[in-house]
Amino acid sequence: MTLRRTILLFVLAWTVAVTLLHGALNLNLFSRKPAAGGAKSGRIGFLPVTCHLTCPVTDFINKQGEGSIFEPLRFASWPELKEAYLSGYTKATFILAPMAIALREQGVPIKIVYLGHRDGSAVVVHKDSDIHSMQDLRGKRIAVPNRYSNQRLLFFRALKQAGMKPDDVEMIEMPPPDMPAALYAKSVDAISSGEPFMGQTELDGYGRVLWLTKDVWPNFISCVLAVSEDAIENDREWVQELVNGIARSGKWLDQDMDNRMDAAKFVSRNYYNQNPRLLEFVLSKPPDRVTYTELVPLKPDFEEIEQLGRESGILEGTAHFDDYVDPSFAAEANRLSAYDWKNEP
Amino acid sequence: MNRATKILLPLGVAAIALVAWHCGVRLLRSDLFPTPLDVVRGIVELAQAGLLLKYIVASLFRVTWGFGLAVLIGVPLGLVLGWYSRFYAALNPLLQILRPISPIAWIPLAILWFGVTDAAPIFLIFLASVFPITVASCAAVHNMQPVYVRAARNFGLGTVALFRQVIFRACLPQILTGLRIALGIAWLVVVAAEMIAVNSGLGYLIIDARNAGKRYDLVVAGMVLIGLIGLGLDYLVRQLEKFDEVRWGYASNSR
Repeated sequence: MTLRRTILLFVLAWTVAVTLLHGALNLNLFSRKPAAGGAKSGRIGFLPVTCHLTCPVTDFINKQGEGSIFEPLRFASWPELKEAYLSGYTKATFILAPMAIALREQGVPIKIVYLGHRDGSAVVVHKDSDIHSMQDLRGKRIAVPNRYSNQRLLFFRALKQAGMKPDDVEMIEMPPPDMPAALYAKSVDAISSGEPFMGQTELDGYGRVLWLTKDVWPNFISCVLAVSEDAIENDREWVQELVNGIARSGKWLDQDMDNRMDAAKFVSRNYYNQNPRLLEFVLSKPPDRVTYTELVPLKPDFEEIEQLGRESGILEGTAHFDDYVDPSFAAEANRLSAYDWKNEP
Repeated sequence: MNRATKILLPLGVAAIALVAWHCGVRLLRSDLFPTPLDVVRGIVELAQAGLLLKYIVASLFRVTWGFGLAVLIGVPLGLVLGWYSRFYAALNPLLQILRPISPIAWIPLAILWFGVTDAAPIFLIFLASVFPITVASCAAVHNMQPVYVRAARNFGLGTVALFRQVIFRACLPQILTGLRIALGIAWLVVVAAEMIAVNSGLGYLIIDARNAGKRYDLVVAGMVLIGLIGLGLDYLVRQLEKFDEVRWGYASNSR
């Protein structure tokens, strides 16, 4: 056979085979099951952290019952999640509260409609280290997820409480999934991000909690559910349904420990792809490590975030509560009761 | 070298590397870094979950289309650039500006333009491979012996026939070397390209395993799989060198 015919045949066969296989295996083009989400559906971005737990929980419960109202889309880090929202690919997203405020300041049509959680963060040091208080952190290197993360603001607040200055510590940005290994290798002295990455270091026996968020900043908020203004104007019904679902699954999670353990299992297996022991650990030890009720956005909470954001130089102070929050959906959603649903094996 | 040494030699080196890896992990007593056995178990676990084939196919799909588009555009563009000096003068600076930009830098734009679909990683792989292909094709024309073209002109060939029957053929050996390097690069950027939240692929496997807590065995499994498949792809491209149309271009025909 000549070169040309061989190549043409091979390239054609290869391309067709790879494309068909990809379509069959990964895109489910040929299965009879309808694809996830119907006409009345939008994509929602989230990360595999407990701050965003209500997103997969709502989706899972809906899929078992009334049918899904959105398509959850898992990201690996903050920048990609933010960019997918900016491009309009995701209609709503779980996002860091200060990041949402900063986007609003920069003119992005985004509104916070509900909170993701309260508490659920920690500062962890290596168990062999001699760091036992904020004072011991002087001159040390601390990893935070992002300059717009509330963990960084939390640190500013803790430093202030301890009578220290921001310059007394060195803060670096690092994706939360990399933090446990960085602490293990002692390339940073302390790490702080959403769970379960803090719990993981405890579970694996080399991390020690310096303090939990609830000890320094009770009712701490790190992530919120934000929706595009376009969806609020043109698709109010969908946004309301979405917030209702998130609110109800939050209440369901806080109803009893059985629900939490169930959630740990099905979320780990179907959404986060983590060892269920991790989520079980952070959702139960202690139970108020992270909570999912009282999630209506309130002005005083955000005023505090704004002020800390200005002090730490990430916010201009040009956007205020009424600019970036639309509390109308939360009020109605909060009146609903928890999902009446039990996982049947 | 006879056939047996040719196979045994690299296998021996690989075996030594594996033993050194295993002993290294044991000596350092790291319980985060996996041993070769852990990695094999990780791969078996992936295969049992049905993910192994899925991820490999997904990555191959993206590289096939990204690289394929790069060949379709890069080779003709390179030949034209090499032949017409005005084109070259006009376009070469722009190409040289775009060429050194890492595909990672393009990730935000890829998401903004293509969302989180397969098109985004395909675009990144295309970008990574189109420049080396263009440059190699262009250089091939520059290095071509002018006697071929003079002969063709004497026979009265038109421009299209000249490109198809003379320039392309004369440049083929060098273009193929360029394609081989570009395919390596295309496969190299698969991890970066799949950092975007697509939900399949070997690059995704690595990112996902980092999210999954202490699953560094899967991270290394992804690395090993990418390496092995890269070896296979390179072997396939090298088969092209066996054809007469190409072999004349290499100094030694004995290989």
